[in-house]
Amino acid sequence: MFFKQIRRSAARNRKGNGLFFGSLVTAIIAFYTLLSLGRQDVVQFLNTIESDAVRKLMQMLPVVYAVSLFFVFFLVYFACRYQTDSRRRELGLYLMLGMKRSRLFGMLFCETLWSSMVSLLIGLPAALFLTEGISLATAKLTGLGIIGHRFSFSPGAFLWTVCGFVLVQLFSMLIICISLGRTEPVDFFRSGEIRKQAVPSAGKSTLFFGAGLALLLTAYGLGLFRLRTLELAVPPAILLCGITGTFLLYRGLGGFLGLFIRQKAPDAAGLSTFTARQVQENVLSQNKALAVSSLLLMTALACISFGIAMGMARSTASRSVDFSLFGEDAQIDAVLAQEEIQKMTGESYPLYLSMIKDGYFADQEHAFDIGELKEALSRIEGTEPIIESLHIDYVIAESSYNRILTGLGRKTLHLSGGEAALYSSTASDGDFGTAVQQALKENISIGIDGTAHALLPVLYCDNVVADRAITLSLGLIVPDELYPQLAREEEPYCRNVRLSDDVTEKSGLMQAVREADALFAASGIEYDSYLGGIGRNLFYTVAASYLTIYLGVLFGLIANTVIGMKYLIGQRRTRHRYETLAMLGADLPSMRRSVKKQIDLYFLLVLIPALASGTAAVFSMFTSFAKLPMGVSPVTTILLSIAALIVFAGLETLYICIVKRTACREISRLASADRR
Amino acid sequence: MNANNDILQVESLTKTYGRGENQTEALKGISFRVLEGEFLGIMGASGSGKTTLLNCIATMLKPTSGKILLRGQDISGFRGGKLADYRGREIGYLFQEFELLDNLTARENIMLPLALHGITEKQAKSRIQAAASLLDIVPVLDKFPSQMSGGQKQRAAAARALISDPDILLADEPTGALDSRNSRILLDKLTTINRTQNKTIMMVTHDANAASCCSRILFIQDGQLFHELRRNPEHESAAEFYERIVTVMAQLGGGSANVL
Repeated sequence: MFFKQIRRSAARNRKGNGLFFGSLVTAIIAFYTLLSLGRQDVVQFLNTIESDAVRKLMQMLPVVYAVSLFFVFFLVYFACRYQTDSRRRELGLYLMLGMKRSRLFGMLFCETLWSSMVSLLIGLPAALFLTEGISLATAKLTGLGIIGHRFSFSPGAFLWTVCGFVLVQLFSMLIICISLGRTEPVDFFRSGEIRKQAVPSAGKSTLFFGAGLALLLTAYGLGLFRLRTLELAVPPAILLCGITGTFLLYRGLGGFLGLFIRQKAPDAAGLSTFTARQVQENVLSQNKALAVSSLLLMTALACISFGIAMGMARSTASRSVDFSLFGEDAQIDAVLAQEEIQKMTGESYPLYLSMIKDGYFADQEHAFDIGELKEALSRIEGTEPIIESLHIDYVIAESSYNRILTGLGRKTLHLSGGEAALYSSTASDGDFGTAVQQALKENISIGIDGTAHALLPVLYCDNVVADRAITLSLGLIVPDELYPQLAREEEPYCRNVRLSDDVTEKSGLMQAVREADALFAASGIEYDSYLGGIGRNLFYTVAASYLTIYLGVLFGLIANTVIGMKYLIGQRRTRHRYETLAMLGADLPSMRRSVKKQIDLYFLLVLIPALASGTAAVFSMFTSFAKLPMGVSPVTTILLSIAALIVFAGLETLYICIVKRTACREISRLASADRR
Repeated sequence: MNANNDILQVESLTKTYGRGENQTEALKGISFRVLEGEFLGIMGASGSGKTTLLNCIATMLKPTSGKILLRGQDISGFRGGKLADYRGREIGYLFQEFELLDNLTARENIMLPLALHGITEKQAKSRIQAAASLLDIVPVLDKFPSQMSGGQKQRAAAARALISDPDILLADEPTGALDSRNSRILLDKLTTINRTQNKTIMMVTHDANAASCCSRILFIQDGQLFHELRRNPEHESAAEFYERIVTVMAQLGGGSANVL
């Protein structure tokens, strides 16, 4: 009987609160996906080449998991409170019928456990399915190949997901039971506590609202204009201003809304004053929850945008060379002639890249005249450090660079006698690339041995060797005729090799590079491989994108559920108002319209500051520490951001619709009770 | 008082709760008429069916059978907009627990029935002022219910019930949540409104003191009309009427026959 009752109540809770149940299942999926990261094909592969970085990432996971649990706790707590609030009469009745409080709480705990079990039974298989999907998709996208894919189940992730989830549920229920334990039986029969309408003073509210707005604007200003200076005091100042500003804004918003309502009331008709007062009351009594939700949504937006952009930035790093071989020509030829290597490799070519001859370095007799470049740079704000350290130390032969461009499927250079081009492999670091690129647009020239050479208006930045760890700050691409005059070494720097397209298409790029890597390693030749590049690339994609998107989705989920739950709890608490409205002549459609409008406004009040702060945060990030690399098209990134925003808006709409449906169902129930 | 006009007719009204063996008949075919300008009291013991009767008239409950006619119109057929119109314009309802919306000011509460019918505060300014003056609540018009006393709350609720000038004011134990001083003030106000504005009032009460303000009282027992008392205002004081009410109430309780 007892267990039958528990099962029945748990099922009723799930049915009556689909929003919460859905969020719980999503949280389980997110937990398992995060915790089983180490079992994913792509991470297992990374572990073989970037084990240190992967180990560090894995060490971070428990922290991320703990942060997630902390936030999921709020989601679960509000949802459990909503459910117990709606059953107050029933619980009071049990007490009055002689049920001991301990037995009552035992019953609630068992219901929670039962619900957790059902959520886990749905969530875990879904999580397994999703992680397998992600694993396969990432493997396919990164060229890892799916031949070696095996179904992976992570017992550790399973255990931690179950433990964390059940603990959070039980802990929330414990807090609720403590408060229920202090409730007199008579209070269970009252339709929930009705908070006295707080009457904020207009002056205080305006002060709070104004101060909040000012602090937020300060945070935006600091983020947009000072964060890039990388001063240590700036990030804490932004956080302090942003968080305090948001809390103060919501603290004052209620009173501010009151002033607005009073101003509009003389011309208001229908339920508009009631609607606005309902929203105002929610803001007044839940200003802290709204501030936290708004900050969470802002963080969600920033995390998702950061994750997408970082993923994009890394995945756009193009593959120009697969292997760079070092050694005598004959030795290299011999290795390339090996049957197995020959089967795998496509074209190979010598790379003419050298440090400049003595005498051409800065301040020496034949030093390049880069006055025009410096002058053009000086017209760009904040380039003083770049100008101070500007020097060209390397030369690359045009024909070699053209082979790289051909490999990438891009247009080759055609330098005439009086032309040269600038090259940098560090263009994506800080403002350097962007500034030089901008300066080059002014049609400037460089003086070599007293002759002016026009610089092409583009800064070239494709990888010239396989290992991306080698960096050339600034080099000069010169016509082949000029190369011997400037280069210290006339011999090629290395031999670049690309794998054959057939092989990479057949077994995936990553698998092919791995196989070839093994062959070169066996041959004993000195070489650099693209494998390290792929490793780093993938690692950043996984670490930056995966974790930030994960956190973004989780924060968004929690914030939306908290807003939704808070509204529904408030609506249930003020249920009698709708009964009164019905008695005063309000019809069902107008009450439903009012409820829908309240929900729209309630969500908008959270979303507008979140969107404003989120946009400021994203812009601040991308103009400072998370600057987009030069090769990444801003249009693509903006399009992706818009796509992310559309997905975000879609999710918000979905949540709003679910909350509206639940709220309207309550109103309809009221109407049917009304006309029993 | 115009004694020739029926404003409300209740004919063979029954209300049954539950089904089969669990059926309870709360009203067993009650019939009566209310005249325009009358102050009618409904009295009876707990469970006699007086609140069920009021709730049926207020459309809070659907009767099982019978008819309720307000100015000749059968209200049981009202649905949607017509039902909302009936509730908001043709009747005013005064609740025992005031039922003011605690997040609206007194002014906004009073405005609600009008706002629901498209009238703005600007257009109704003089009406609000008049109702507030009549009920002595002008100083609290811009206050929230939490800032008002119980008496002020009930008078604000009365102003809300009367603002749309309904045909009849239905009051369910309006003094039930008030102390004796505030009860007296409210009853005086209701009596004044009944006399000066010829407003029809139907009040459910079990308080003989409150009932002594009425011009006629219907006593209900076990869902049926048991007795009717009329007050002759010219020859009978409120105190004398009160004595008669108390006597009937004692009979309603079974008189000394029921004393063990």
